[in-house]
Amino acid sequence: MSFKLKALLKSPWVFHLSTGSCNNCDIEVLDCLTPRFDIERFGMLLAPSIKHADVLLVTGSCNRKSVKRLKRLYEQAPKPCLVVAIGECSLSRGMFIHSYNCPVPLDKIIPVDVYIPGCPPKPEAIIAGVVKLIEKVRGKTKKAK
Amino acid sequence: MIYFAQLIIFGFLLTAVIGLTACWIDRKVTARVQYRVGPPPLQPFIDIIKLLGKETLVPAGAAKTTFLTAPVLGFASVVLVSTLLWVNDINLSAGFMGDLIVAVYLLTIPSISIIIGGFASANPLASIGASREMKLILAYELPFVLAVAVPIIKSGYSLSLGDILAAQARDGVVAGSLSGFLALVVALMVVQAKLALVPFDVPEAETELAGGVLIEYSGTPLAVYRLMKNMLFCTLPLFIMMLFMGGLRLDGLHIVYGALKYVGIVALITVIRNTNPRLRIDQAVRFFWGPMTGIAVIAVLLALMGR
Amino acid sequence: MTREEVLNEIKERFSGDILDVFDKSPNRVYIEIKPESLVPVAVHVFRRMKARFNIATGTDVRHGIEILYHFTFEDINLMVSFRVTLPKEKLEIDSLAPHFKAANWIEREINEMLGITFKGHPDMRRLLLPEDWPEGVYPLRCDYEEWDKKAIRDRGL
Repeated sequence: MSFKLKALLKSPWVFHLSTGSCNNCDIEVLDCLTPRFDIERFGMLLAPSIKHADVLLVTGSCNRKSVKRLKRLYEQAPKPCLVVAIGECSLSRGMFIHSYNCPVPLDKIIPVDVYIPGCPPKPEAIIAGVVKLIEKVRGKTKKAK
Repeated sequence: MIYFAQLIIFGFLLTAVIGLTACWIDRKVTARVQYRVGPPPLQPFIDIIKLLGKETLVPAGAAKTTFLTAPVLGFASVVLVSTLLWVNDINLSAGFMGDLIVAVYLLTIPSISIIIGGFASANPLASIGASREMKLILAYELPFVLAVAVPIIKSGYSLSLGDILAAQARDGVVAGSLSGFLALVVALMVVQAKLALVPFDVPEAETELAGGVLIEYSGTPLAVYRLMKNMLFCTLPLFIMMLFMGGLRLDGLHIVYGALKYVGIVALITVIRNTNPRLRIDQAVRFFWGPMTGIAVIAVLLALMGR
Repeated sequence: MTREEVLNEIKERFSGDILDVFDKSPNRVYIEIKPESLVPVAVHVFRRMKARFNIATGTDVRHGIEILYHFTFEDINLMVSFRVTLPKEKLEIDSLAPHFKAANWIEREINEMLGITFKGHPDMRRLLLPEDWPEGVYPLRCDYEEWDKKAIRDRGL
């Protein structure tokens, strides 16, 4: 198991998923792929299909309509798969906490590994969050030994 | 006569190592052209190893056996044709009459396995990608066969790889003459389409078709497909080199020349990939049946006349 | 047509229906009309005067629900909004959807969010709310209350 996770950390393929966001966080995620904050140097590629994904980047507060679709997509991602919640809306629904359409925060629907706060988080913050994710998973495999 | 050890060492290991290194060179040069830092070395190897550790998901309505064995079919044919080419390259008299036809035939099987895999996954996007790949195969096989006819004519109408290599060692490389050069240009374009690289990567268009034919593949079958595509990165330029540029002679200084020829072909493929947009399927078919077939026909006529 | 011509034509033709004209700025005019005369006014402005139907907005003011229909005259940079106030007891109005297709979806949304019945709408279904949303609960009204027992409304601190 630790060998699989180690290989996964060296080449994580990223799948970007928006569950009803204002698209600012999505634009910042797209910024990470541009030459200025190039993430291909860590081996990350943008996976075109959910079945090629290792890391799910979830933005947006989860509407009632997108709960079903989010659960289906999470089940279709081949395990082991890590989930990263980006932006205030996916951490705790942000300013939409009393909204009629967002009953529960994201981590009551799918298990989340790393939270990246910000509205929207800067690309540097997103890269720092991904580094924390890698350190956390490496710490887990060291403890398992 | 091909021995099992040759199959494993030349067909699989050597081709895989060279192919994955060439894939890394391609990604690094692409990144540098786009003013980025590219992936670290050994990245394609790690990609394949990581994919072997993920779970395999088969979609509900898919034809399960076909879905899981289509990648193995393509992979097996690539291993076989690599062994054939390497063995002929090293030992010129180890071939048999007609093994050029066998090589051309075996080189179409990887694309067919992608089509079978695309249709076996019960997904409309995969079907669109597979049908586009079928049209692309129809388009590029015609100029490819015409371009391969030129070295056959120049080496005295023999259908064996060993004879073609011996004729080039005797008379000079095929690409030196006018007809050979035209045929080489046509063959390089066809290689770009066989490798499914831009401008001809319409079956696996990433942003347009969400992965195209490979949308439902995950885990080990996907690793086998990617390994097959990367191994083609070694086999197809080797094929072009043996037919048009005199092969890879393994004595003394000729190894360096051979390596330079191979890196030159990979660099040319990368440059074409980075400077062109993706063609639509009808534009690609028109390109292959129009100008490319015309050039190939002119090359054959020139070769028949002796130029 | 200039701005004055547009406003004069609307005021002369529909003088019996107009309750109030509020000339807010060179680009914005709010005209209050009776609910019964919405369809003749809207069809005339859309067809004869070649305005563009932009959107409709609905608000819950305490004594009723008011709907604004925004029409734009693009050549002269003018937006004319027709305001219709419906009393809370009788929340019905004629639908504009049979006359121009642009009103189809926005009337579905106003119906599910504010509970207004549009008479004559060809396809009244849910637009934005999920299928398991209870009937008769309108989220954008002032007296909307939380009906979901399983919702989590604190931050867990």
